[in-house]
Amino acid sequence: MAKKYAKPEEFNTLELMAVCGSKQINNGDVVFIGTGLPLIAAMLAKKTHAPGAKIVYEAGFIDSNAKEIALSIADSRLGYRASGAIGLIETLGLMLQGGHVDLGFVGAAQIDEYGNINTTYIGSFEKPTTRLPGSGGGNDIVSSAKRIVVIMTHEKRKMVKKLDYLTSPGFLDGPGAREKAGLRGGGPSLVVTNLCQMDFDPETKRIRLATVHPGVSVQQILENTSFDLIVPKDVPTTELPTHEELVLLREIDPHGIYIPRPK
Amino acid sequence: MEAPVEDKRISLKEAVKLVPDGAHLFWGGFGFQRPPMAFAHELVRQKKQNLTIYTCGSEMELDILVGARVVSRLEMAFYAIEGIGLAPNIQRRIREGVIQIEDYSNLAMALRFLGGALGVPFMPLKSMLGTDMLAKTRFRTKKAEVMVCPFTGEKVVLVPSVRPDFSIVHASRVDMEGNAQIDGIKGEDVEGARAGKKVIVLAEEIVDTEFIRSQPDQTVIPNIYVTHVVECPWGSFPMMVYNYYDYDMEHVRMYYEQCKTEEGWQKYCEEYITSVNSHIEFLQKIGIKRLMKHKAKKPLPY
Repeated sequence: MAKKYAKPEEFNTLELMAVCGSKQINNGDVVFIGTGLPLIAAMLAKKTHAPGAKIVYEAGFIDSNAKEIALSIADSRLGYRASGAIGLIETLGLMLQGGHVDLGFVGAAQIDEYGNINTTYIGSFEKPTTRLPGSGGGNDIVSSAKRIVVIMTHEKRKMVKKLDYLTSPGFLDGPGAREKAGLRGGGPSLVVTNLCQMDFDPETKRIRLATVHPGVSVQQILENTSFDLIVPKDVPTTELPTHEELVLLREIDPHGIYIPRPK
Repeated sequence: MEAPVEDKRISLKEAVKLVPDGAHLFWGGFGFQRPPMAFAHELVRQKKQNLTIYTCGSEMELDILVGARVVSRLEMAFYAIEGIGLAPNIQRRIREGVIQIEDYSNLAMALRFLGGALGVPFMPLKSMLGTDMLAKTRFRTKKAEVMVCPFTGEKVVLVPSVRPDFSIVHASRVDMEGNAQIDGIKGEDVEGARAGKKVIVLAEEIVDTEFIRSQPDQTVIPNIYVTHVVECPWGSFPMMVYNYYDYDMEHVRMYYEQCKTEEGWQKYCEEYITSVNSHIEFLQKIGIKRLMKHKAKKPLPY
């Protein structure tokens, strides 16, 4: 059956980002997620193409089937029909560092052209202007998961040439750097923003434009990016959400906790 | 003949009195789940100072401790008021330069507690490699070290084990000799409760030791580790305890908004912490009706 795509005026950017995120989850994947859009993306994937994905929250809920939106990764809501409720040494240590996690979703306050991530300080380390939440399990996930998807907003001050603080390792300073540092995980594979999706050039490990969201121009993306973004000749438009996906998203987050509506 | 059951129960006030200024504490709970909120309030009421806290991730109660200048140093991985924003008091105290944070990842902190509990001086892990968490140190003489494994040649990060003066853990239920059960996620409390030189277990309810002994597989913290037991119902409110109560987001949001300014924080602190004399008075201030609204609606755990 052919997919029935929604028209651009029928969805908002957050819905598109959630759908983009959900497509990165394969059926059977063991997925580490936090709250926010990744939570929505994972719930959507389980209701569509990846019912067998196992969603793990670092605080200890395993294979959660939450029916209500959680506000915290330790939220009791995530215990609903979970297969386990354990601890951090198990999730981040035995499962993740032990090599059982296929995919991790993380956010970022800043990202650079090698996909390195800052979630700790804005400004100098000595005298920061803002102290962000810190690594949490983010560094552990980005260090050791096989694939990483970053979901963040696209602004010039966030897409930077040099991070204020390197919290979680992308490809560090280029090809071979992760291996040299002793890192085991595969590193970032995709960055989903409100303007586009970006992947990483396999040769140079530098970030590259992959798809452009409907109604967004390449020029607009470049204007909102401080690092040198690789722009291939032909960049496709991001695959639009289907009507089915949009209906499901509204069921998943009916009160608009993470996807406020109307647009 | 069986030995009589040892009674380790003390009051919340007595437990907090045991903590001297300048003490180092493992701080239990994870995010919104089972934070020792009542213990934090009492630390503020007793005007403790200069504490160092070790934890993976903590939220509102840590913001309260930092706001009241009870804590001056943190070794941790994460703080925020999840789903709402950055912790307002911590933000302000950092700008004032009265609080210092040494950053680790969650796994690093959990392993530091496991190392302390195991009685070994450090633990190896595969996180933090290549990052500023390795390169930049705030106040520790030595924060972490990269080492080449003598057996495989692989690079690992070594992090120092932690043996704090006290471990503070809020459990679901405990008997009077200190055997504790924790429903739902454990976070890093299993290791943290074993790392402290003295261990104070607070719990939603104290149960008969025969109940604990009828299901020994459910004991997460055996009494051997536990120094004192404190009965503390609604001890994490307005955060949550699995199977007992949900969070009160209205209260948490009010806290967040109000604490954006120093005046707002002072007002909150006075109204809900220092002008009440005990945890029970705090609960009375919240009101039975409001508490009941957040009581877990079984079979849901929240």
